[in-house]
Amino acid sequence: MAESASGKREEFEREALVHLDTLYNVALRLCGNASDAEDLVQDTVTKAYRSWDKYEQGTNCRAWLVTIMRNTFINQFRKESKRPSSVEFDAVQDISVFEEVQERDPEGSFFHLIVDNEVKRAIQELPEEFRLPVVLSDVEGLSYAEIAEILGLPVGTVKSRLFRGRRRLQQRLYEYALEMGYIR
Amino acid sequence: MNAFWQSLKGRMSKQPGGIDCKGVLAKLYEYIDGELDEETIEKVRVHIEKCKLCYPRYNFEAAFVRFLGEQGRASVPDELRRRVFESILEEESSN
Repeated sequence: MAESASGKREEFEREALVHLDTLYNVALRLCGNASDAEDLVQDTVTKAYRSWDKYEQGTNCRAWLVTIMRNTFINQFRKESKRPSSVEFDAVQDISVFEEVQERDPEGSFFHLIVDNEVKRAIQELPEEFRLPVVLSDVEGLSYAEIAEILGLPVGTVKSRLFRGRRRLQQRLYEYALEMGYIR
Repeated sequence: MNAFWQSLKGRMSKQPGGIDCKGVLAKLYEYIDGELDEETIEKVRVHIEKCKLCYPRYNFEAAFVRFLGEQGRASVPDELRRRVFESILEEESSN
């Protein structure tokens, strides 16, 4: 544990602030706009610094930080928009797009024709229950166990949300590709 | 002709790798994500390699997951980075 204040700060910079890009990307996906995302990153880092004593050295710092971010987001940024979870009741399309495109584009090359912003928007439009597992796994490369820790969910739940999130996203991007004529 | 396809289908679902197509499909994302134990990885790998039904499915899903991973991660804007480091310095001196 760091002795001096500057030691603590240096340690925090070394261990925690290397994950600033991850925090920013998760914040962007949580908030949907850069300005709120920046505030969320700032608030998260300040909170993390203040409770740095509670961080156990050698454990997963990135997961610890994202957990703080998620809680901060829930407490501050989402107060006004408390919508009920629709996950359990929604008839989720669990069929892979592969079934529909296997004759025409089995490699899924149409995905690559879709512009970045459209993909970002499709991710953004996923219900949060699905969006976080998808972002943490596919964009940030976290393991199921790390995501489960961050979200406070059993690994099995993370798995099923991640899979369903991917399927939804796939379906959405496929529909977009059809609209744009990228695939016939 | 129908009988031919039936028998082809039958042969293909004959569990290469000691796991059937349904089992592989259920584990496909975990396989792609590297979340399975070694024994299961091997079973799924062998199955996918030999199964004409599962291979293209695997290929498609793997390409999709890869595609999502390639989606531009944004870098923290310099201004924000500066702000964050400054705020930590402030915190430090206020203690």
